Amino acid sequence: MAQSGVTVSIEAVHENQIQEVSLDGHETVIPPLSMSECLAKSAQKIDFGEEDEGIEGKQTSEEGTTEKEESAFQPSLWPWDSVRNKLKTSLTEIGVLLDVLNIAKEKKYMAIVQVQQDTSEPKSALQLLAKKKGLNTAASVLISGAERLKRSQEEKGGVSSHDKFHIELLKLRQNWRLKKVGNSIIGDLSYRSAGSRFWQGGTFEVTKTTSLPSDQEGSTAQQYPLQVVIPSELEGSSYLQLEIKSVPDSMDLMSVTLQVPDGFGRTPLNAHWQSRLDTAQNVLFCKELFAQLAREAVQLKSNVPHVVVSNQIITNIFPGVQLSIVLCHSTGKGDKKTGPHSGKMDHKHVLEHSLHQLLREVHHRTLHLAAPHPVTAPFGMSKRRRLAGPTAMSRSDLKEMSDSETLLEQIIKQARHEVLRQRTMSVIDRLAGEIPDPQIMAHWSCLNSPLQSNVKIIITSNGYEGMRVTWQSLDLEIGVDGILVTTKDRRTLKLSFQEKEVEDIIRWQVSQHHIALSQNLARLIGWQVLSYNGCSGVGEMEGFACASSIQLVAPNNDRMLSVRSGPTSGLHVFLKIDSSGNLDPSLSSLVDPKWLNLGGTFRELDLEQIEGRNLATKLELIMAMVNKKR
Amino acid sequence: MGVVCVYTFPVPEGKSGQQVVDSLQRQLELLGAVKTANFSVDCETYQSNNPTGAAQRILHVLHNSEQPASCFAILDNGTTLVADVLFEVLVAKLTQSKSGKDGYYERRKGLKIESKGPRFELSDFIVKIGSVSMASNFKGILVEVEYCPCAIPGECWELMKEMMQSFMGTVVENPPMAVKNKKDQFYTPSDTVAQYLEHFNNFRKAVVNQSPR
Repeated sequence: MAQSGVTVSIEAVHENQIQEVSLDGHETVIPPLSMSECLAKSAQKIDFGEEDEGIEGKQTSEEGTTEKEESAFQPSLWPWDSVRNKLKTSLTEIGVLLDVLNIAKEKKYMAIVQVQQDTSEPKSALQLLAKKKGLNTAASVLISGAERLKRSQEEKGGVSSHDKFHIELLKLRQNWRLKKVGNSIIGDLSYRSAGSRFWQGGTFEVTKTTSLPSDQEGSTAQQYPLQVVIPSELEGSSYLQLEIKSVPDSMDLMSVTLQVPDGFGRTPLNAHWQSRLDTAQNVLFCKELFAQLAREAVQLKSNVPHVVVSNQIITNIFPGVQLSIVLCHSTGKGDKKTGPHSGKMDHKHVLEHSLHQLLREVHHRTLHLAAPHPVTAPFGMSKRRRLAGPTAMSRSDLKEMSDSETLLEQIIKQARHEVLRQRTMSVIDRLAGEIPDPQIMAHWSCLNSPLQSNVKIIITSNGYEGMRVTWQSLDLEIGVDGILVTTKDRRTLKLSFQEKEVEDIIRWQVSQHHIALSQNLARLIGWQVLSYNGCSGVGEMEGFACASSIQLVAPNNDRMLSVRSGPTSGLHVFLKIDSSGNLDPSLSSLVDPKWLNLGGTFRELDLEQIEGRNLATKLELIMAMVNKKR
Repeated sequence: MGVVCVYTFPVPEGKSGQQVVDSLQRQLELLGAVKTANFSVDCETYQSNNPTGAAQRILHVLHNSEQPASCFAILDNGTTLVADVLFEVLVAKLTQSKSGKDGYYERRKGLKIESKGPRFELSDFIVKIGSVSMASNFKGILVEVEYCPCAIPGECWELMKEMMQSFMGTVVENPPMAVKNKKDQFYTPSDTVAQYLEHFNNFRKAVVNQSPR
């Protein structure tokens, strides 16, 4: 039960000292210290000098006490001065610390890293080994460096290898385009600058030879101060092989045999850089050429399908004649397993060279524009297109102009011409050997193109060439698809690619020659030509063309010669001697001798028995002998 | 290039141009002609800008789809230039006004005239039926007949006349001026274009004559 009315008061104990008690009992209390006074008192107790070294601290404390003694005579702020200074320095120090901490926290300019603890020391044996190994490697590096220096010092000629490198580099720069990329020297061996647009580029790197010459090899391998590093896909050597072979008609393109390129020597690694770069450039060129041909072979729409099989392109240029283009690339790494090839490789070197030239022409055309054009305009229309406007060419003319021939088409044309020419040549040569009687001479024109050749065939009799009239001459114009023949009387005949047609024509001309010869001989000797038939429709039929015949009569009208010559039936000479001997002597006075000539039979003469080199001499002999005066 | 004759085919009253074209087309197809493509011949006129007040020269620039790479320029006195199609660019430059001054030539607007239509091939002949329009207004019909094998008008005019009369009727009596003048010389594409220009000018004059009505 709380009873109200009792007040309890709590008072603090008077702690203030009583200064004096006055007579009336009033206590005079020492006023309690104000906050500042209290602080001053406490501050005086603190010795700021203690943070310094002990000795100094003692000194400062001594100084502090002296100062305090002195300060008794100075205003009350003085005791705070040192305090103030000390506080100020501590403030700056703390400020610096704060800044450091802030910066460290930002981790942008400073970072606080843990100090690594020292591990326990390893055993001394391990240490020794480690140190030994380290020293060894350092020693070897130093030794090799010293050797190199020694070597360069010992070199004769006075040119250091460094200079030699630069001299070689100068020579290299005279032939190839080089540029410096970073620390290395890069060169370009592709045909880009000559107009090629092939995707594969050829860059090679030029390095200094750093390896020491090995003494075991002896002095056979010559050291060059310059080494060229060629990209791996261009290593080795390659060439394009073009072959024309006749295949049996039944064989189709699908069953062709794949070519295995024979291993041919590669350029050894330490060959001169020029030869290595040349072979690499050749490899790139052959690659580009083959890629272009293969692309055209696939895209071209022609009557004859072209077959492209890995590194070979095969096509039929004539029925029974096949053209194959093979890219032979040997990387030169252990290719000696292919033994000697069976059968001679019959490549057409001329056509291969022609292929190279064609591709170079393509390159040239991309870079050069046909004149006239201003120097500042290297690209533009071809000359024909430029003229199309002013000459008002029609649509069909323009279309014709825009079709240009592909590389493959061009080489096929050249190959066909080559085949035709070879065949014609062989036929003419063979016939010239086989037919002894009239001489067959072939004069080939010096001026010919890869697509056309001309030959003039002249058939004469030996010893009677003076009679120009008796010559039979033929002009053969050998083109791409066929041969155009122009005879002496300006008739033109078109022959196809068959060899037999040329042979037939020549044989026919030989037979014509026999008759022309007989005619002229007769004229010279004095015999009369009764009839000349350039194309006789009587007698047995020839295999081709036609036979021709001539009838000659002696000046005395008592002998008749008939010569018939055909390409297949050959040469036949018939002689008729009248039967005047058989006449009844009783009738001779009545009948005029001239009527006796009507009768008689023709008898064939055996030309083998008659002396004479050819028909002309034989005929001459016959005519002379038979011409008897009555 | 053969010999070309261009004639206007009259559009009878009451019939539209399209009907006439269709009837001609049907006749040709009956003859055995084969439609190969469309053709177009157009003409733009430029007038010279002579500040000194000298006589105005008129330049006509024509294109013919038969010679796609060429552009024909004919002056009022008949001088013809056969050039590449880039000639137009040159004329455009001449027409441009630069740095305050007017161009040397000024295009006469509203005078662009063209003849468009189908092109038929009938063995050695090429027949083109063109509807002439100026600013999408139909003006008339122009029929062009070309005989390809011959290039000398004097030798083939009779043959052409007979062929043309077979489907065009009596419109064809006299050879066009360009053909008549060149009876014994080689016929060139610029003569064709000159014939077209003559017809185009006639069509333009016809407009002028009719407009006051």
